[in-house]
Amino acid sequence: MKNKLFEKYFVFSPYFWLVLFFFIPLAIIFKISISISEWGMPPYQDIFLFDNGLKINTTFENYVYIFSDFYYIGSFLNSMILALISTIFCLLIGFPLAFYIATSNIRLRNILLVLVVIPFWSSFLLRVYAWKIILQNNGILNVILLNLGITSEPLQLLYNQYAVIMGIVYTYLPLMILPLYGYLNKFDLNLIEASKDLGLNRFKTFFKVILPLSVPGIVAGSLLVFIPVVGEFIIPEMLGGSDRLYYGKILWEEFFVNRNWPGASALAFSGIIILVLPIVIFQILYSRWSQKNEI
Amino acid sequence: MDNNFLVIENISKSFGDNKVLENINLNISKSEFFGLLGSSGSGKTTLLRILGGFEKPDTGRVILDGMDITNLEPFDRPLNYMFQSYALFPHLNVFNNLAFGIKENFTQKEIEINVRNIAELLYIEHLLNRRIKQLSGGEQQRVALGRCLIKKPKLLLLDEPLAALDKKLRSKTQLELTTLQKKLKITFVFVTHDQEEAMSLSDRMAIMKNGLILECSSPEEIYENPKSLYTANFIGIANIIEIYKKDKNFYSDNLGINFKLNKELKNTKTNILLRPEKIKIQSINNLKTSSFNSFSGEILEKSYLGSFTRYEIKINNMIISVLDQNFNSNSNYNFPKGEKVICSWESESIKILED
Repeated sequence: MKNKLFEKYFVFSPYFWLVLFFFIPLAIIFKISISISEWGMPPYQDIFLFDNGLKINTTFENYVYIFSDFYYIGSFLNSMILALISTIFCLLIGFPLAFYIATSNIRLRNILLVLVVIPFWSSFLLRVYAWKIILQNNGILNVILLNLGITSEPLQLLYNQYAVIMGIVYTYLPLMILPLYGYLNKFDLNLIEASKDLGLNRFKTFFKVILPLSVPGIVAGSLLVFIPVVGEFIIPEMLGGSDRLYYGKILWEEFFVNRNWPGASALAFSGIIILVLPIVIFQILYSRWSQKNEI
Repeated sequence: MDNNFLVIENISKSFGDNKVLENINLNISKSEFFGLLGSSGSGKTTLLRILGGFEKPDTGRVILDGMDITNLEPFDRPLNYMFQSYALFPHLNVFNNLAFGIKENFTQKEIEINVRNIAELLYIEHLLNRRIKQLSGGEQQRVALGRCLIKKPKLLLLDEPLAALDKKLRSKTQLELTTLQKKLKITFVFVTHDQEEAMSLSDRMAIMKNGLILECSSPEEIYENPKSLYTANFIGIANIIEIYKKDKNFYSDNLGINFKLNKELKNTKTNILLRPEKIKIQSINNLKTSSFNSFSGEILEKSYLGSFTRYEIKINNMIISVLDQNFNSNSNYNFPKGEKVICSWESESIKILED
């Protein structure tokens, strides 16, 4: 009886976690996003007022405000584009790597897997800062390029969107490689040989056999990269310049600089809905599709 | 018959320090059903994979129908390979698995006709819309076979074609496979570790051990007249007796009897093979022991196998296996354990293993 209870608790613990750390905070954000801002602490009014009975004191002004100003929508689009480009780069670099790791012998495979995971052992901030040192005007890369005579004056490598993309691809690559490896590891290499035997060259074998059978890994890895990159704040802040504004940065500014909590909450809540809703729909459709296709 | 349809010439292959194949030479005729038989580690699968183009030999050549294919990629070879695991594409249905190899060069209509024809040939028309996971082992084997045959290969390579099937299905499929091969007249080369399978399928077969071909001949020849001790033991049940020349005859210390041989021996000492079904077993009361080609012994073990009874007979300090066909339907016909019997054989039944 005691065990049964433990089992029940154990099974539901992820949901418990989800409710405690996702749905409740989300509800709080939503609550703030529909309240009226004012000067004070906290910088918004209560949504329930007890003034001769219960009065509901809410507004959708904050949503109207952020959706009518292209400043907010534009920064969100910038972040989406950044996430898309970074995900594509992670996929292009990560797929061959994951495939190579999955098909190499067990000893090499373990070494390579450790190498993929090693960056996680050091501080994320430190690693991004290291890139700053490498890319700055008198940094290692520019010194090498100057000494080799490839350029005559230092290149502006830092503080632009390219540095941001590079930093993100560097940081998020393991999150692409690991789920891809998980799927490719189970891949039956005989299928590749069978495809070649039936007359398809390497190129066609890749598109007709390897790629379709890797879809679950590609989907898992891409979501793991795409979703957090949309909200990424630190990398654009440290490596990016003023050429592009990103969603994470705008959120930060609304909260901590403008102290517009309701506006920032509306921005955060909209972001989550815009991002999560399509993914949830996609996941439902995708799981139906993969069940039908037995992948 | 053209004996040079498939020529395997001086093929050697090593993986690191491990020599897997050593100087293999084989000639296989057109429309032949050829078996490569060996235990695991004998190099048989490596040889098949070299033919398929999945491994490159260190030395030697492979010539198929007059064309040197040694350095061709698998997708450029006019042959197909059936994998032991079948390697069917799980993301495609049966129709698209069958059509996989012909989609490139055929129109939609031609593909349709070809797939229907091959499905009809293999009795899998009703499965065309199924997913691979919905198929039984036997059905998967047919799809794998069909996927190869639809390409009308000059040569079909089969890696343990029946190993994944259960015993009853295996013997049925064995028969179908031979019929199919004779009908299509495609050259089949297959690998197996199962001697029964090799014997029943092959026109000719090669026995492999440690990267060498020990013997290559018809199953009958290999069973009846094996040239080496290894082959004699590997195929069927074998009584191996060591004999040496004593005066004008040959004598076995273990059995304590004389042998009369039809052939002269090169060496003074050799092993001989006596297959268990060549030995006649009789009650001791019926006959007197002769000093040649017979002995009397005591039945140590017996196992009733239906059409045969297998006896283990102890004589001196050796145990001889005897297979006795059960002619009579009377169940008391069998000799009981502990019974003294006389075993005898024709002198032609004794095969000398010279090496």
